[in-house]
Amino acid sequence: MPLRNAHPSVRAGGAGRTDEALPPPAERRSPRPVRGSRTERLAPYVLIAPTALIILALRLYPLLLGVNFSFTGDGERNGTAVGVDNYRELFGDPLFRTALGNVGLLVLLLPVAVAIPGLLATFIYLRVPGHRLYRSVYFFPAVLSPVIVGAIFNLLLAFDGPLNAALSRAGVSPVDWLGDPDVAMFAVVGVHVWATFGMALVVFLAGFATLDSALLDAARVDGASLLRVIWHVIIPRLTRTIQFVFVTTMIGMLTSMFGLLYVMTSGGPEGSTYLPEYYIWIQQGQMNRPALASAASTVLFVIMLVVGLLQITLLQRAGRDD
Amino acid sequence: MRRRSLWSAVLVAGLTVAGCGSATGSDQSSGGSTDKLVVWDWKSGEPSAASYIEKAKAGFAKKHPHVTVEFVAQPFDQYYTLLGAAIQSGKGPDVMLFNGGGQIRDRVDALVPLDEYLTEDKQRLAGWEAFTKDGKTYAGPVTLQGHPIYYNKALYEKAGLDPATPATTWDEFLADCGAIAKAGADCIALGNKEGAGIQFWLSALGSGILTAQEYDDWIAGKRDWTSPHVKQVFELWKQAGDQGLNNDGANSTAMFNDSFALFQSSKAAHVIGLMSDVGHWKDFNEFVTPDKLGVMGAPVVTAGTTPSLAYDGGIGYGVAKWTKEPKVAADLVRSLTSTEALTAFYADAGAIAADTTIDVSQGGPAAAAIVAGIKTGKPALHVALSSKTLDLMGRLSQQLLSGSTTVDEVVKQLAASDKAA
Repeated sequence: MPLRNAHPSVRAGGAGRTDEALPPPAERRSPRPVRGSRTERLAPYVLIAPTALIILALRLYPLLLGVNFSFTGDGERNGTAVGVDNYRELFGDPLFRTALGNVGLLVLLLPVAVAIPGLLATFIYLRVPGHRLYRSVYFFPAVLSPVIVGAIFNLLLAFDGPLNAALSRAGVSPVDWLGDPDVAMFAVVGVHVWATFGMALVVFLAGFATLDSALLDAARVDGASLLRVIWHVIIPRLTRTIQFVFVTTMIGMLTSMFGLLYVMTSGGPEGSTYLPEYYIWIQQGQMNRPALASAASTVLFVIMLVVGLLQITLLQRAGRDD
Repeated sequence: MRRRSLWSAVLVAGLTVAGCGSATGSDQSSGGSTDKLVVWDWKSGEPSAASYIEKAKAGFAKKHPHVTVEFVAQPFDQYYTLLGAAIQSGKGPDVMLFNGGGQIRDRVDALVPLDEYLTEDKQRLAGWEAFTKDGKTYAGPVTLQGHPIYYNKALYEKAGLDPATPATTWDEFLADCGAIAKAGADCIALGNKEGAGIQFWLSALGSGILTAQEYDDWIAGKRDWTSPHVKQVFELWKQAGDQGLNNDGANSTAMFNDSFALFQSSKAAHVIGLMSDVGHWKDFNEFVTPDKLGVMGAPVVTAGTTPSLAYDGGIGYGVAKWTKEPKVAADLVRSLTSTEALTAFYADAGAIAADTTIDVSQGGPAAAAIVAGIKTGKPALHVALSSKTLDLMGRLSQQLLSGSTTVDEVVKQLAASDKAA
């Protein structure tokens, strides 16, 4: 064990026997030069400097530039300060308000997006017939890119597509899944959930692995129904897993819907499926309004900051409970 | 204490730098060099444009043998985003491809006026207007882009209509649509998912609805949104939707290329298509043979109007402000718009080239009809609108089809948006 011998101090507190081999603490500290203590004091700063500088130069500085840029004008007013004009325009734009409203809708739909993988993971854990097959089948969509998923569902959900054909055979009148403003957002979110729940399912299954099966057996012996088992045993024991899935699903919904929206609806119909990201992209790329897009980015950043802080609090609290 | 003051100094310095004007910077330093020209476009990567690019390169090499030209094909859906970033940084390609109209006019700050370099081409090429702002020309037109109404002669025959005499008035057109519906096909293939359907509608039918005076005023920027004829454009759009002239689910049908596919597969008898790039006569010929493909004028809605083909310069190459030698870059633009190069582009890609001297007699009746319409053609109505108004019009047109708004409300909102632009 040459390594361990080279750093005896690491093990110092561990075993009483090794204490004899070491000089007393005071003696150990005294021969160290004063310079060394300063080096030691500076060492952490030096060590985090690369990370800190990278964050500062490549994250925070551009962020400041972007925020600053959002207070300048577009087009003819390029480079001149315009105060909060961009923000006023932004909140006066019904399209941006729709986009913000859709963020709220996503938050409201979050429980559904978490419940689906949770429920399916429960079934797999309870070994319903064919659970091995389902485990891989459920995960499969998670490996597809949003563009491919979007293209597949564009075909399936087309007005003259197979889903509507099946509905009409069942005597239900066809639904314009991606052309009806009241339906389109739900259709896209549904597809997003379908495409991403595999990952959450895996996390749930990992959570189940830590579940004490004796508790389940005890509940069964007591004659508890499936619903009661889920409510009184599984959910309380998986609180941390559920919270974690909530946080990651939220992040996924707020940050990675762009590809699907782009392919499936292009923000339409009637602008009903706009999200802030898509709005930013349209303003910057199509409308040539980079400063307005900056303002929208700043608003999105603030929203994400608030959501992020809430999530950190949530996770910390969950950690403390444990 | 010292550390804290150091940090505040860093912060203050950062804020000061950030506070100095915009993040775009005013330094438009050169991105190009004199012995190499970089061209950005979204065409050069396509096989059908290969011989066009080759011919243009060869033509340029004769004039400037020591200058190398590099074509960088960008994906079209990212093109203006990438270009915007290049313009913001003041560095980028020397020569770049633009769509005519709003896309280039919004960005002329980054371009060199080309009038002095391109005087010789003014007569030979058409479509300059779309690349002009405030009397200055910023690009040499490569193709013409416009909105002919294509029709499927085979479906006309099936519906018992004479394919040689398509409807010339709106009432005749509605009657024909009735016959076509009985034959089991939709009258109009409409893709309005992107909201582009209404733009095509406005431009293709406008010349039969607006009077000549209203049309010219519209192009000149004097747009009277309260005029009954302007309203009628949107009323007919709604009527076509309400009466089931369009294919089902138009709001969720992509124009590119689902609506064109409907037309090609003979599920719909008419489509307002394009002249160049995609959705044009050569594309359609893949399934609708040249002898079955017709091009008709706009049905007359307002008595006394003379329908005309709506077209503008489609795409054209412009020269960036930061290029070292604008003259050399302009020569490249000239090579890219030479008769030889454009003939190759027409032949391979089916684009209606900006060069009016190209012989199109081999292209079939549809291509011939389009080219014949160029002389009397007028700029497309929607091209005169800002991209913001077009975006709004797209969303409002979807609302009209779904019945969630009224024509009056649409015209009111568009007037406000147009005024602000």
